[in-house]
Amino acid sequence: MKLDKEARKLTKGLFQVSLTNGRLDEKKVSAVVKKVITAKPHSFVGILKEYQRLVRLEVAKYHAVIESATPLDKKTGDQLLANLQAKYGKDLTTEFKVSPELLGGLRIKIGSDVFDSSVRERLARLENQLTHA
Amino acid sequence: MSSILQELESQISGLKTTTTKSNVGIVREIGDGVARIEGLSDVMLNELIEFPGGLYGLALNLEEGEVGCILLGDEKGVVEGVEVKTTGRLLSVPVGKGLLGRVVDTLGAPVDGKGPITASAIYPVEKVAPGIIKRKSVSQPVQTGIMAIDAMIPVGRGQRELIIGDRATGKTTIAIDTIINQARINKANEGKAGFRPLYSIYVGIGQKNSNIARSLAVLEAAGALPYTIIVSAPASDTATNQYLAPFSGAAMGEWFMDNGMDALIVYDDLSKHAVAYRQVSLLLKRPSGREAYPGDVFYLHSRLLERSARVDEKNGNGSVTALPIIETQAGDVSAYIPTNVISITDGQIYLETDLFYQGIRPAVSVGLSVSRVGSAAQIKAVKQVAGKIKGDLAQFRELAAFAQFGSDLDAKTKSILDRGARIVELFKQVQYNPLATEIMVTTLWSMQNGFMDDVAVDKIKDFQLKLQDYFSTRKDTILAKIRDKGAIDDDITADLKAALAEFKTSYR
Repeated sequence: MKLDKEARKLTKGLFQVSLTNGRLDEKKVSAVVKKVITAKPHSFVGILKEYQRLVRLEVAKYHAVIESATPLDKKTGDQLLANLQAKYGKDLTTEFKVSPELLGGLRIKIGSDVFDSSVRERLARLENQLTHA
Repeated sequence: MSSILQELESQISGLKTTTTKSNVGIVREIGDGVARIEGLSDVMLNELIEFPGGLYGLALNLEEGEVGCILLGDEKGVVEGVEVKTTGRLLSVPVGKGLLGRVVDTLGAPVDGKGPITASAIYPVEKVAPGIIKRKSVSQPVQTGIMAIDAMIPVGRGQRELIIGDRATGKTTIAIDTIINQARINKANEGKAGFRPLYSIYVGIGQKNSNIARSLAVLEAAGALPYTIIVSAPASDTATNQYLAPFSGAAMGEWFMDNGMDALIVYDDLSKHAVAYRQVSLLLKRPSGREAYPGDVFYLHSRLLERSARVDEKNGNGSVTALPIIETQAGDVSAYIPTNVISITDGQIYLETDLFYQGIRPAVSVGLSVSRVGSAAQIKAVKQVAGKIKGDLAQFRELAAFAQFGSDLDAKTKSILDRGARIVELFKQVQYNPLATEIMVTTLWSMQNGFMDDVAVDKIKDFQLKLQDYFSTRKDTILAKIRDKGAIDDDITADLKAALAEFKTSYR
């Protein structure tokens, strides 16, 4: 659904008030959603969808997805988490995933930043270098 | 064998720095050659974006939480949800002398089946035009080989001269003639000290494939292809490729300029280029303005044509001359795109349908065509014989309109009319047959000095052809003198007088 200018502006405003010190505040988010549902402004479903998108993007900024070819042991996982939190802040949430197609190594995605040291990526780079050298 | 092994080893050791950081996004919407991408928080404007499967895109719209991107190829295989990543590179094309004689697409990839291209360098497609300090004024001529243009609307190296007219009035022909003439001059002067060859680049935008093939065949037949690069973005190409093609051509021209050489670029044509850009802009949901063109369509053409320049010795000592082409609808030069490009360029050659069907070809309209800087580049000999022609012709047009009403004319009016009719005849020229400057000079000299006054108007063309034949076969010493001196002095005048007297006794 395409939102008009007014609704888009309203959504942006709603998103702004859901922040405390520049970070998303869960309580505020649920309060905003409740308020929108009860007040039912013009095209409120669209507004909520757009709001959800903004919240999703904001959450993803502080969420790390750690992929590995085989499950990581607890010690490595904890160490990784500690390192990432030192870099990105204490409230970084993490998610561990097992993706055998990586073949080996790790791939960490935080927001739109990707740190890739997987075997798949290295093979792809080697292929690229050899074909375009 | 060992060198290959060494290279492999070095390549592999280069991979030891294992972790790479990249910035990725997710395709949310794709279609019509445009993708909307979520994420890509570090993307830069005009950055190349890598799609899976070797496809690349160009980030044109950076919005809050979303990036609008145009695709440089077929979108087949790219679906919603795939991951794309930034590359940190700008769109670039191969440049250099290796492209001469080749037909390439917008990205510089060969499409003529003659094998891979060896490029001297890689140049970004979008580049800022040389500034004021780097520039030098236009003072060297571009010989188009078309008498009407070289005599009245001279073009200089580094100039931007617009060719404008309705469909089928001979716009492309003028451009192709110019390219052929450059090749002819380059071939004749190859290896001479101080000679500056002029390499040509023909950019076909939104043209029919058959048209480009025809131009290619003409250039090949005339032996002009070895001095020419053809950049082809035909009508079947994507709007993105049509929009970027002239910029690729400009990048190829800039290499010649930066390396002390001269280049000539024909943009055929910028009306279709504006239409392609309009399509891209509308698909990117940019706001539209007059005739649905986006607000920056003026800037699109001005930044492209500003890249044509002549730079001084410290900054490359070369030049890029541009001959953009604009197609008008029913002779309307006051439409949006034509007025834009007219105001950007240093003059225009206006071709008229009426003249074309009267048999005056090239159908150059003298009143509406101007060259704002070219006269500084005209060589002295041409100036001597052609200085007054534009005025004479304008006077002729005015009087001819009056003369239609009455038959009683005073001697002065009659002489102006007679002279004008002869100039018009002289300026008729068949296509793909450019003339050498010295031939033009002798022809115009004989007209200016009354040697054609006693030839009937319908015999002028015949007289001209035989005269040209006579000079090039029997009096080539005079032609050589004019060529070397570049001006008509007393010595040459006497020679010309004697030669013409001799010719006229034998002419019938």
